[in-house]
Amino acid sequence: MIEELIYLMPIITVLVGALALMFQSMYERYTIKDNIIVATIFLVIALGFAVFHAGDLFTTKPFNDIFNNAIVFDTFANFFNIALICGTLSIILIGEYYAKEHSYFKGEFYSIILFALFGMMLLAHANELITAYIALEIASFSVYILVGFDTQNGKRVEAVFKYLVLGSFIGAFFLLGTVLIYGATGTTNIAQVAEFISVNPNDKLLLVFIGITMILFTFLFKIATFPFQSWVLDVYRGSPILVTAFMASVFKIAIFSFFLRAILTDFITLNTFWEDALITLTVITLAIGSWLAITQNIVKKMLAGSSIVHTGYMMLGIIALGENIESAYSIMFYLIAYLLSALGAFGLVSHVIADTKVRVTYDDFKGLGQERPYLAALMTIFMFSLAGIPSTIGFIAKFYIFTEAINAGYWYLTVFAIFATAISIYYYFRLIAMMYFYPDAADLNTEKTSDIRVSTFMLGVVALLVVWGGIGSAIGFFFPIPSIDAILSMVELSVQSLFLK
Amino acid sequence: MSETLILSFIIFLPAVVAFILMLTTTKIEDVRNFAFVTTIITLILVMKIYLNFEPQGEMQFVTNVSWITKYGINYYIGVDGFSLTILMLIAILIPTSYLLLWEGRTKGYWLNMLLIQTGVTGTLLSLDIILFYFFWETMLLPIFLIIGIYGTGNKVFSTIKVTVYTMAGSLLMFVAIVYLGVSFFNEYGHWSFQYDDLTTLSGLGANEKLYLFFAFFIAFMIKIPIFPFHTWITGTYSDAPTGAVFLLSSIMAKLGVYAVVRFMIPIFPDTFVGFSEYFVFIGIFGLIYFGIAALMQNDIKKMFAYSSASHLSLIAAGIFSLNSYGINGSLYLIIAHAIATGGLFLLIGILHYQTGFKTINDLGGIAKKAPIFTFMFAIMLFSNIGLPGTNGFVSELLIIFGIYEFNHAMGYVSAVTVLVAASFMLWMFQRAILQERKGGALPMKDLKLKEIIALTPWVILIFVMGIYPDPFIDKFEPTVTYYINNFLQIGATK
Repeated sequence: MIEELIYLMPIITVLVGALALMFQSMYERYTIKDNIIVATIFLVIALGFAVFHAGDLFTTKPFNDIFNNAIVFDTFANFFNIALICGTLSIILIGEYYAKEHSYFKGEFYSIILFALFGMMLLAHANELITAYIALEIASFSVYILVGFDTQNGKRVEAVFKYLVLGSFIGAFFLLGTVLIYGATGTTNIAQVAEFISVNPNDKLLLVFIGITMILFTFLFKIATFPFQSWVLDVYRGSPILVTAFMASVFKIAIFSFFLRAILTDFITLNTFWEDALITLTVITLAIGSWLAITQNIVKKMLAGSSIVHTGYMMLGIIALGENIESAYSIMFYLIAYLLSALGAFGLVSHVIADTKVRVTYDDFKGLGQERPYLAALMTIFMFSLAGIPSTIGFIAKFYIFTEAINAGYWYLTVFAIFATAISIYYYFRLIAMMYFYPDAADLNTEKTSDIRVSTFMLGVVALLVVWGGIGSAIGFFFPIPSIDAILSMVELSVQSLFLK
Repeated sequence: MSETLILSFIIFLPAVVAFILMLTTTKIEDVRNFAFVTTIITLILVMKIYLNFEPQGEMQFVTNVSWITKYGINYYIGVDGFSLTILMLIAILIPTSYLLLWEGRTKGYWLNMLLIQTGVTGTLLSLDIILFYFFWETMLLPIFLIIGIYGTGNKVFSTIKVTVYTMAGSLLMFVAIVYLGVSFFNEYGHWSFQYDDLTTLSGLGANEKLYLFFAFFIAFMIKIPIFPFHTWITGTYSDAPTGAVFLLSSIMAKLGVYAVVRFMIPIFPDTFVGFSEYFVFIGIFGLIYFGIAALMQNDIKKMFAYSSASHLSLIAAGIFSLNSYGINGSLYLIIAHAIATGGLFLLIGILHYQTGFKTINDLGGIAKKAPIFTFMFAIMLFSNIGLPGTNGFVSELLIIFGIYEFNHAMGYVSAVTVLVAASFMLWMFQRAILQERKGGALPMKDLKLKEIIALTPWVILIFVMGIYPDPFIDKFEPTVTYYINNFLQIGATK
């Protein structure tokens, strides 16, 4: 009983935290700072519970008579829980300064972000389509609200409306797919559906396949691949940058958690007729993402466009998954790497915006290298990581993805992805060029403000992690430091736990 | 310190010092002095390696520990005759170049110089191909920053161009590296990216090999640069600050040649042999093409960029000539050219810094104002042309022998076209340095004592290596023989 409860604790803690913050935000006397402290405490406790089981290989369904196979607790979900909690925690802490500087941040923000986290964690645990749908909608609705939080931004109405309408519409596809699958198989449990698929001949599975295709649409929409990418730029532009960071990194991980589970448990079988479609989509996604990223003049939009390219790399891993199960490790590693780099990049942009109120375009970054050498150095590290330059975690992650893709036989796709990477060097390095190669744009309000605060500290930590992921284990020959092999073995353990009976 | 750790120490010491200096607020003079002392310590360590090195073909001072165990990637470094020679070269050239760059630099400049040193030595010593790629890409980043921040003219465009150009090339190589690793995994059932493991690959088809070969070769051709992948050099060389030009021309370009020898010959011996004829031809074509292009230049830096490319084409032709003369000569020219071109670029940096001009038409009358400068300049120039008595002569002679043995007609052509270099160099020397300047003399001070001290070892090396080359060749000759016997013979029989 107690043991079963411990498995549930991370998710319960987050939910309780969300509710507590909701009540706290009713009182005027609590400032933003208090809310951040409370949110941080709950997240740290939840993280503690999640880390408690980090090294174990387990799969269990606690209180099964209540939940009836709907949610499952295994190393896989636990891994994603840790990633999601860490991501949310870093966003809250990195955004501390940004939130203080912008009056529209109220206590509810933290309550809603914890609700979103709750939905995402539930999604990672979901073992059944209706549960997955509910979890997805909890997360999505919270994010819809977060997108519209910036009352000073004229673009927000467009952003919210676009995301809300399109997101709900695509959510309906998920439901329709579920209904079709239920009609054909009589169950919504993904393991049972997978079994149904494996024992029946293809001509009996038409409805199931149509249903799964519908569900895949939702997946493609949420991770923003072609042809569902058009919302990204406007929504990312209109939302507060912390929310953008949250959507680009944490939310994406949550989506992948469920779909990786679905693919790995053979619920979605890739090697049939989806493969060609996915290959085409990946190629177009990479091309369009690169195009969008190159043509932007606003840094936030460039990051949004580049997030589409990164999705394309992960799709490469997803395609390789049909041939080669090890590719799942590379996708999960890539998610972690992208989480760190994107958090850093978005977080740093948010910090700079909060400081000067103007820095949004490339030109606004001119002279940052002299004005704020440490911030510029951190930004350089994040750009390197996003571009996949060696000595950062981004390189290792790309190496894994490409190795597994080539191992699965998709070397031509890999070459295409490499071209996208070469292009990406241009738009990432352009920002570095702006920071270092131009003198200060003269009349900026450059009163010396101290950079010692929680958000810069967190950015420093993230940057250290990025570099550690790239070279840490090499330093390990001289000093005892845990190597990135640790992450990789954790990932392997998580995938193994899916196949435990 | 144990023997095996010395190499790691040589690689990482400059970077560690750079990071420590970055975090402290030291005065600029102290930063420079620390950087200089660091390079001197590195030089002493390299000397130690050089003296303890046994002249054999195999790797020595090997460190091999696993880095990413899942993919069999190791931190695998070691040194053999090839790399030792270049290692020594780097260790001598960098501290002396510091003396010539002594005044008027900022903190970031010195930190980047230190980081570049780590990058180039790491590239040189790594024997695991992923580790090699790691350093190969990393050494570009400080170059990117140093050109972009401290360059002149149209620097941002040049910087972005050179970065995207070289990175695109190396990314293609990256796919090839991964492909090789995957093939190895499919053949042997475990992962490895060590270069000696990859040489045992036998399952690659002829077409596969061809693609992989070119994926590697394009990356190296861009870096060297070999015609037609040279378009980045003029802009970069003319806009980059002196230190960066010096490092690019005298060290990094050589690493491209080195990488061809280190990785491409052992891994694709048969493709290498099969294409050697074309590449000797391209090399000689580049020698002529870049030579003529150099004749046309008015900007001295651009002229030397082309002259450098012209010599590197000759080096490449020597490497592809498949015999002991050619390869030994190429290695010797790598050293000779690094010293001569490095010296010339640094001297031109001084000239540019003092007079404010770098175009031939604007210069003149330097010889009277600065005789020691002119003397040093002339020696470097003669070595570059390959005047008898200098090291340039020995190496060019060996390469021409090598090419002649490979193919008589090409041997004749290469022997004649070496003269092109003499013509543009001497013409430039006459116009820019010797003859009277129209419109008054330039404000040019002669070399300071520090700079003379810095250049003296180079001058001594030029003559010693030119008159008595044996002790130098002895260090790397066994490795060349080892390569020819173990790889090229196999390739030729296939």
